[in-house]
Amino acid sequence: MKRRIADLHPFTVLCLAVLTVSVATAASRWWLNCAVIVLCLAVGAVAGKSRKLAALSGAIMLPTLLSLLMIHGLASQETSAVIAVWGPILLTLGGVEIAMALALRTAVLVVAGLLCGLLIDKHQLVAAIDLSPAPPQAGYLLASTLFLLPQMMEKQHAIGEAQALRKAGTGRGLAGWLQRLRLRAVPLVLSSVQDAHDRSVHLAARGFPARGEHSRLRQVADSQIQRGVRWVALLCSVLVPVAILLPLGGAS
Amino acid sequence: MSPNLLLPEASATQLLRRRVLGAAGTLLLVGTYLFLVITQPAGIVEGLGQGVALATFAAYLIAAVLLLLAVLPDLPVSALTLIPVALALNIILGQFVGSVMVPLYLDSMGTVLVGFLAGRRAGAATGVLSTLIWALFAPTVLPFAAGAALVGFLAGTAARYGALRRPYLAPIAGLVSGVLVGVVSSPVAAFVYGGTSGVGTGAVVAAFRSMGDSLLSAVTKQALISDPGDKAIVFLIAALLVFALPKRLSGSFEFIRRYKVLGKSGNK
Amino acid sequence: MDMEHRARAGTTAALHLRLGSFRYSEAHSDALREIEMEFSPGSLTVIAGDSGSGKSTLGGVLAGMLPRPGADQCEGTVTLAGQRIDYSPELSPRIDIAGWARHVGLLPQDAGLYLSRIRQTVAEELVFARENEGMPREEMTELISELSTRLSLEHLLERDPAKLSGGQERLVALAALSAAKPSIIVLDEPLAGLDSKATATVTAMITRLRAAGTALVVLTRTTEAWEAEADALWTLADGTLLPASEGTGTAALPSKRRRPSIAAASAEPLLAFAGVQLGYKGASAPVISNLDLEVHAGECVGLAGANGTGKTTLLKAAAGLLKPASGKMRVAADAGMLLQNPSDQLFERTVAREIAFGLPKKSIQRARVPLVLEQLGLESYAQTHPYELPASARRLVALATVLVREPRLLLLDEPTEAMDSAGLQILHEVIDSVFERGGAVLFSSHDERFISRTAHRVHQLS
Repeated sequence: MKRRIADLHPFTVLCLAVLTVSVATAASRWWLNCAVIVLCLAVGAVAGKSRKLAALSGAIMLPTLLSLLMIHGLASQETSAVIAVWGPILLTLGGVEIAMALALRTAVLVVAGLLCGLLIDKHQLVAAIDLSPAPPQAGYLLASTLFLLPQMMEKQHAIGEAQALRKAGTGRGLAGWLQRLRLRAVPLVLSSVQDAHDRSVHLAARGFPARGEHSRLRQVADSQIQRGVRWVALLCSVLVPVAILLPLGGAS
Repeated sequence: MSPNLLLPEASATQLLRRRVLGAAGTLLLVGTYLFLVITQPAGIVEGLGQGVALATFAAYLIAAVLLLLAVLPDLPVSALTLIPVALALNIILGQFVGSVMVPLYLDSMGTVLVGFLAGRRAGAATGVLSTLIWALFAPTVLPFAAGAALVGFLAGTAARYGALRRPYLAPIAGLVSGVLVGVVSSPVAAFVYGGTSGVGTGAVVAAFRSMGDSLLSAVTKQALISDPGDKAIVFLIAALLVFALPKRLSGSFEFIRRYKVLGKSGNK
Repeated sequence: MDMEHRARAGTTAALHLRLGSFRYSEAHSDALREIEMEFSPGSLTVIAGDSGSGKSTLGGVLAGMLPRPGADQCEGTVTLAGQRIDYSPELSPRIDIAGWARHVGLLPQDAGLYLSRIRQTVAEELVFARENEGMPREEMTELISELSTRLSLEHLLERDPAKLSGGQERLVALAALSAAKPSIIVLDEPLAGLDSKATATVTAMITRLRAAGTALVVLTRTTEAWEAEADALWTLADGTLLPASEGTGTAALPSKRRRPSIAAASAEPLLAFAGVQLGYKGASAPVISNLDLEVHAGECVGLAGANGTGKTTLLKAAAGLLKPASGKMRVAADAGMLLQNPSDQLFERTVAREIAFGLPKKSIQRARVPLVLEQLGLESYAQTHPYELPASARRLVALATVLVREPRLLLLDEPTEAMDSAGLQILHEVIDSVFERGGAVLFSSHDERFISRTAHRVHQLS
């Protein structure tokens, strides 16, 4: 099962996620949203990423939930039943309901999106983009950023050590903070911009970006069925919300 | 028989295609924004709420991708290799700032830097890509791609018209850009997410709401409080970073040379 | 518009270059002038020159990467593959660098810059350029197997290109370069920083390419390793070429150090490790365990050992960047350390400001800035941006930022990397001056000659 998920074409995973999010958002039923979240967590568990998925989504959803509760729960113009009162601040039932509904809606997007990010192999995604009709630059930019991040993190660490050796950046307060930011940012930006510049000419020499047809050595497993699934998913992610929303919009 | 040693000129049909894509993206963005502001859809959760959320999300995202497709094929390789660096800088410097509890985001440093060095098209592309890639780690940022594109575009425009020739001009340009970006991004926050995603910003929105503002105007007012200040600082820091680059390096960007971004042949 | 210039080149040379002058944008003098050379198939041309002599610029011109249109000023003519390209100060033609690269390949000094950094395996990296041309998958698979057998790279094919050693990086880049079967390959410092085993493998690959009829151009600091093989030896000085016999091959280095300075052994050690274990947080095994080492005043100790044996880790611990996991470490003097990558230490806009950074305005150390500049031969660079200096001088600037604080214990991590002969001379003087102050030096190096000339004793790590 785990193998099956890993072997899916990256675009298939993305299309299914789009479908899930758009249908769940359009339907806007709390039980559907909850079911989708549970399903995503289950898929994550099968793929062995449940812990990471839960931690990442929690980190995004917690502040969002608090913020929504404040905006809608406390300051809503609703006149429904009051749950609690602290001086001028009222917590209303209607407000909390709205906040929870919005939070659930965001949670579907967060969990489904993060699941995609965890399931898709980055190299396969890059290869799939390269093999698609998208401009050849797109694949490079995605790949380069994903692989540059850890390297620049390391560089950042090395710069920190170098500063410590020179006993630089020990100031306090706002001035000290600005000085530290400068000491971190300047060598990092200087060296990475220089590196990017030196690299660009060799990339150009290797024929990048391709001006005509380009190919990839790496194969991305695909099948007729998956291609079909992708089209149906994309079509449905437009049609289903329209079908759900139109009669409602007409009625109200 | 041997391959050409010289480059061909760009063809007119390619140019036209890019213009059309760019115009379509801009129109979609402006149209959606105007529609949302004028009709002010009321229900957030019931009835039209989901439709507006989905439509806003889709329109902003599609507009951003159209803009990206319009500019990507034009970018020189020197700008293309710079963009990943900028994306990584957005994340790393954003983290450094986050770690010391300063109430700014500073997550557009790299985008502004590319706008300054390689022009507005490269800046806009950086903004969109930065958002698309960041979305792999935090999916909620997706519809903000259009706002990020605007930041990069405005940074490039400011540099082109001389915002880097004097150090004090950069934060002023940032302030103005912040106003525009805040205004354009707020419908996403209001209609897609029903507010904001941060606790601090949420409190500000709640305060405006309790004074009787509509959700959109409360979110817009909050954005007008945080964005200009943030962008002013980002523009200033990015400008200082550009000044710190050696002349041979900054001079290797055609944009810098052509528009004399750093003043008369870089004499300082 | 330059098509009319397409000449029937009468010579058999793969490339003919006549360069009147070359000047970088924003520069005040020519980087290259009055150069004429041609390369025939299977030949080996060696061009020697110090750091900053214009070697890399010449390499860039040969590879069509310089001049950059609209920026650099160049006057000259290149004839390549039957086409004649004219450069004039008013108009630089827009070169198709990729098309040019099918005739002339350039391996940069830092071979890592050549690798795309976006492919998961070496096999994919090898055909990156072919992918951009749209070569069908079957042909690419064939090409890879042909290349890897011919250049014996089979063991690397599935490796991650980001995790190769310096020597392996060069092998992979060379193989990727030769995949296009260019008639000329330009190699910028192909052997710098390699240990003897890696040197042998890279040299073997170069011999194979030459046997296949590729003209090779080697840009190097010293001609030593190439004298026997080369068809032509040149020296590049002041931006122009001279036959090598006129120039001196290598500057004479100081003779071998005789013995430790007086009474070194009796004194209290400046640095002492006893049964120390060193490692990084989160790593499973320690990098170094059971380390016993003492460094006394007046002593110069070299650290030797293959990559990954913990030379840098030891130096960082001595500098106070790393706490020992167990054992006893004592540092009895203030330490200053030169990192392996000097760029990490530099952030100011001019060399003078860089060295004076963080020193109180009226301190004795601040007053020493001009002295240090003079000692390291950097006076003429005082107002230059550190990043615009040649690699050798940049390392000296980083050394200056350390020396201005007069550390009694000087720690040097691979100080000879990218250092030219003048820089090496200065490095020797600096080490001597530390002894005069009653200090000590601890350094790591791959350079066996430098170790044998400088170190009083060698501590072998394994």
